[in-house]
Amino acid sequence: MPNRPWRGPRLAWTRLDPWRHIILLPLIVLFLGPLFLLVTTSLRDTGTPLSRQLELWPGQPAWGNYPAVFALLNLWRNAANSLFVVALALPLTIIVASWAGFALAQLPQTWRLRLTALSFAALMVPLSAVWLTRFLLFKELGLIDSRFALIVPALGGTSPFFVLLFLWTFLRVPPELFEAAQLDGAGAARVWWEIALPLARPTIVAVGMLTFVSYWGNYVDPLLYLRSPDKMTLPYALQALHQLDATNWPILMAGAAMVTLPVLVVFLVAQRSFLQPSRGQGWIGR
Amino acid sequence: MAFTSFNALQPPTWIGLANFVELVGDPIFWQAVSNSAFYVALAVPLRLGGALLIALLVLRPFRGGGAYRAAFYLPTVVPDIAWALLWLWLLNPAFGPVNQLLALAGLPGPAWMVDETGARFAIVLMMVWQIGEGLVACLAALGDIPVELLEQSAVDGAHPFVTLLRITLPLLAPILLILLFRDTIHSLQGSFVPALILGDGGGPNYATTFLPMYIYTTAYEYLRFGYATALTWSMFLLTGLLLFAQYKVALRWRLGFRDAE
Repeated sequence: MPNRPWRGPRLAWTRLDPWRHIILLPLIVLFLGPLFLLVTTSLRDTGTPLSRQLELWPGQPAWGNYPAVFALLNLWRNAANSLFVVALALPLTIIVASWAGFALAQLPQTWRLRLTALSFAALMVPLSAVWLTRFLLFKELGLIDSRFALIVPALGGTSPFFVLLFLWTFLRVPPELFEAAQLDGAGAARVWWEIALPLARPTIVAVGMLTFVSYWGNYVDPLLYLRSPDKMTLPYALQALHQLDATNWPILMAGAAMVTLPVLVVFLVAQRSFLQPSRGQGWIGR
Repeated sequence: MAFTSFNALQPPTWIGLANFVELVGDPIFWQAVSNSAFYVALAVPLRLGGALLIALLVLRPFRGGGAYRAAFYLPTVVPDIAWALLWLWLLNPAFGPVNQLLALAGLPGPAWMVDETGARFAIVLMMVWQIGEGLVACLAALGDIPVELLEQSAVDGAHPFVTLLRITLPLLAPILLILLFRDTIHSLQGSFVPALILGDGGGPNYATTFLPMYIYTTAYEYLRFGYATALTWSMFLLTGLLLFAQYKVALRWRLGFRDAE
């Protein structure tokens, strides 16, 4: 049964439009409060002692805290490493995950269900369970202290969840479309590249965003598999900053804000494609 | 590997069940198990309940709805370590904004990360903000419920909360169960970075030594890979037990529901 857009008689519990805002606004303040305080704390003057009173906005914003972080750390080097990892992992993830999702969508029903169940099971494995096995595997492969160790998960599509997202997208495409292309003599790879992928654009954006977020913020993997400071990514730089001076809060928050900013920008640009209600189920994309 | 003594430098030596014998008598291991269980018992219901509540509030399109959704998801994308450092500051006993707010309201602020109980609650608290994944899943599942069903219920004169309880939630049950499993595992895992940063490696006095934290310390600081593998297996077992218990409870809940009909 197709889900039609919301009209017709409203349910009583959705009729609280002004009330909705009255409930939601305090929640929003609660949710965005920490990020607001991240910014205001980063602008506090480092010279004066911290106030014992709540200070929502510093009297004299100390913008100099941001350049000061660069003086303490080789931040550009870390940023370059982070970018290197994301630049390789992102396209790789999208190619592998969409390819796997496309293949799953073409399978006969029984095998598709079995493999879907397997993907769900894989989703349940705690990541820390593979820390040790991965470490030993990377050691055998000579990948310890190599930035490529951070990219390895992308070879498997990063997360079974991404494969499932692509599967669900491709299942919504009428199979005749793929069959027609095949009759025209296109191979599987060409059908995937020329027909399936362009149709899955919103999914690509959503998976791309989630991939970016997870590689950019990945702190555990560099901690486990990297040694040399010059290969470390940004999250590790933040930890170094913390170790340099654990009580210089404005500087720490300035560093945290800078590492967070790219993620927020990417999220705000991409959020529409997976947070907003889809326009009907009949077709994917717009 | 769980049956070996192995430091990743020399080849492993077979020591049989010695790792597991040590594990049973290891007070820190049991502390880590109970910490993890406490954490999951508190964080998971809060996270799932919060995600579902917010999903219900922002489900239908309305003016500003998109901005609300984005705002609720925002804390989830903040890198773990930045999030942990931020909360370390927010919960600073003397200068942190949380305690200053509490002081404004005339309430005494806990010592948070200095105090064992405070530290446990602090880590639950900071994880409750990052519920974007559950929110999106709830939104998708709620959107799949046929509108006609809800309309029918409203036309029949059912109170909206009855509709929620008798129609929406049962239809949502399978998704909620999967989310419950996923969040249990995710929460166990997600406690690592907070424990490392806020708890400074599992402190105070092992109050935030969760299982992943203990595995990390054992393997990478004490180089006892064999024992760490035994710990990993025990974590697997604990996760399996938790999921099994949840499944049983969910099954009973569903059956009870059918009886009521």
